[in-house]
Amino acid sequence: MWEGIAQGLGTALDPANLLWVAAGCCAGTLIGMLPGLGPITAIALMIPVSYTLEPAAGLIMMAGVYYGAVFGGSTSSILINAPGVASTVATSFDGYPMARSGQAGRALAIAAYASFAGGTIGAIALLLFAGALASWATAFQSPEYTLILVFALSSIAAFAERGRVAKSCVAALLGLMLGTVGTDQSAGVQRFTFGRLDLMDGISFILLAMAVFALAEAFHMLTTRDRGGDYRPATSVRLAKGDARAITPTVGRNSALGFLVGILPGAGATLASFFAYDFEKRFTRNPACGIAAPEAANNAACTGSFVPLLTLGIPGSGTTAVLLGVMLSLGIQPGPRLLETDPAVFWGVIVSMYIGNLVLLALNLPLIPYISRLIQVSRPVLIPFVAAFSLVGVYLTTSNAFDLYLMLGFGIAALILRSWGFPLAPLLLGFILSGMLEENLRRTLYLADGSWSMLLDRPATVLLAFACAAIWLAPAIRWWRSRPAGEPES
Amino acid sequence: MNIRSRTASVLLAILGCAISGAAAAERVHVVIPVAAGGGLDGTARAAGRALTETELAETVSFENIAGAGGGRGLSMFVENAARFREALMVNSTPLILRHLQKLYPLSFRDLTPIVGLVADYGIFVVRSESTESDWSGVVERLQADPRGVVVGGGSARGSLDHIVAALALDAAGVDARRVRYLPYDGGGKAMLALLGKEIELLSTGLGETLPFIRAGEVRVLAITSPERVAAIEHVQTLTELGYPVVFANWRGMFASPAVDDDVRERHIQRFRTLTASQTWRQTLEQYGWEPLHLFGEDFTRYLEQQEALLGETMTRLGFTQ
Repeated sequence: MWEGIAQGLGTALDPANLLWVAAGCCAGTLIGMLPGLGPITAIALMIPVSYTLEPAAGLIMMAGVYYGAVFGGSTSSILINAPGVASTVATSFDGYPMARSGQAGRALAIAAYASFAGGTIGAIALLLFAGALASWATAFQSPEYTLILVFALSSIAAFAERGRVAKSCVAALLGLMLGTVGTDQSAGVQRFTFGRLDLMDGISFILLAMAVFALAEAFHMLTTRDRGGDYRPATSVRLAKGDARAITPTVGRNSALGFLVGILPGAGATLASFFAYDFEKRFTRNPACGIAAPEAANNAACTGSFVPLLTLGIPGSGTTAVLLGVMLSLGIQPGPRLLETDPAVFWGVIVSMYIGNLVLLALNLPLIPYISRLIQVSRPVLIPFVAAFSLVGVYLTTSNAFDLYLMLGFGIAALILRSWGFPLAPLLLGFILSGMLEENLRRTLYLADGSWSMLLDRPATVLLAFACAAIWLAPAIRWWRSRPAGEPES
Repeated sequence: MNIRSRTASVLLAILGCAISGAAAAERVHVVIPVAAGGGLDGTARAAGRALTETELAETVSFENIAGAGGGRGLSMFVENAARFREALMVNSTPLILRHLQKLYPLSFRDLTPIVGLVADYGIFVVRSESTESDWSGVVERLQADPRGVVVGGGSARGSLDHIVAALALDAAGVDARRVRYLPYDGGGKAMLALLGKEIELLSTGLGETLPFIRAGEVRVLAITSPERVAAIEHVQTLTELGYPVVFANWRGMFASPAVDDDVRERHIQRFRTLTASQTWRQTLEQYGWEPLHLFGEDFTRYLEQQEALLGETMTRLGFTQ
């Protein structure tokens, strides 16, 4: 193995490859920063470039594009509340309010440091345990997935502010329902498509995220009066006093969590970032931790998603599926034999991830003061900018005009829900989890001939079921215990 | 692009062809009805690359029109036939399946078949440590109890992987409508379910499974090809085993319904030359694809046969409404 790592270092430190990883990171960050454009689009756009390169260089560049785009995605999440990837939705929860309160630089810096640490810890874990962890991906089957998804849904309780638990649950249910539009995987029939081809694939995540977050925010700005002073200039790119100390343990534990969840095929990075946010919010109300946790987790998870790709040849997400296509066309066959047939590629990619993270940090920190100035742009300029970019971003991924009308409709609906006090993050979370939850639950029930026992007779599922119960019961117990003291609900 | 300059360049290209009398290098545009990165997308791009490498085309451009499981690209290609007069569209077996299931109003008859490029045969695999050593063992268990073996595949119920399994089991006298089929979101996740012991038998394509076969993780029990395939020469075909089922997931190129005869001829000639080339042989080897190499009318006849076979079985097995 050490021989392999040395060989990988040789590949990754080759000046030409260093240049490609830097180029990939730059391109990925730039594309990822645009609202609506995420890693899949970034990688697809760079496919023609990769064809002109040597296999190792091409793959190293594409990996750079991948984590560059994930990194860049957090920027649009924080600055204009427009997450381009599911995995940066959680970053906007605390990041956008912090940016609006004049601390855009601080929020971006926290995200940059946490991403760097998460990615680096992930790369080291990949380096050391890639082979050993391959079996972790096969250990999770439909019953385990079902419960892990229920657990994720349960964490809605954590996103809910006090007194809004019911509204959060309603929003999550709406999201679950929106997720049922399209072709039913288990029966192969169309649901709620009204005979329209445009709805056959369901509603795209990017479309809903852009409508519910970015467009609704733009509409909201239109309907409220500019009080001024909302956006104070952000001069400092530094962390605030005490931030570094506060986020270090957060970053540490959530990188480990993110890496392990990221290995699981499915929505690895998204689940990881929601879990991380949920987990941190139980310990602290510090918004710095609320940004650092999902950022560390989603970057570690992206690295983790390379475990099944490189060791089993199985893509765990849409992005790694596109990467697999790129690898095949470069003549690299990932899988159990990659380590024997192409050790230079295997280790080169892993080592280059570590270098890529350094490049990203070096690239982004000096840019923060300039990027964060975006937020000082006055409303008459900012609103059309946000609206136009999110509409264009969605149109670019599907080139379907129907999606634009759909998006406008969702944007207006979201504005109304918002004005009634419904939080929208649970809606998006419900939507993301809906399809996977249904598929896994139906498989589980089908295997057990309709009996629910399969959800509870495996060790991992029992553990997860207890965790779900704890989440739901904890607030009730807290309320019951505080009752004798006569504390009113605040 | 300026329409006049495009017309001019097309005219020039036609003139050039007429003079040289061969498929001269020119621009080829390929519409891909799925998102970038999948298997069909890979086939189109690999074929395009081989075309430029062999100088059968000057440049090859691609346009992904994804959506509606390929239906959007198909309807745009047909509805805007004038715009795509010179273009090609890549497509595969679901074109036939989804028309039979009435998910697409359009079929291959609305297109102009040019070439059937490659075939991916259906295979049935088990884990390498499975106690099932041959296909007849699985069949016997399923004949006794159709629900006794859990079969999985990388696509929804009633789509490719499920239908191939149903075809093969139906030929063996198994009540295919009662067999338990678990759908997964993509062949990769179905493979994980096989390795993780959630399913016992996986219905999938040879191309994407080859690395797992070579690594010794899974064992192939049978293949749906007409003859044995070089890549896994020890595996018997269903026909050899006494169940006459031949099925290929083809991938090929189509021209627009409005294509001119001479353009169609040139497309066909271009692919005839390509498929005979060393470059193409290397491409097939690199991706583990089996050649199909059917041109023009031959390809149309092949599609008609497949549609008839699938239509009959799917109606009998209840896959169509």
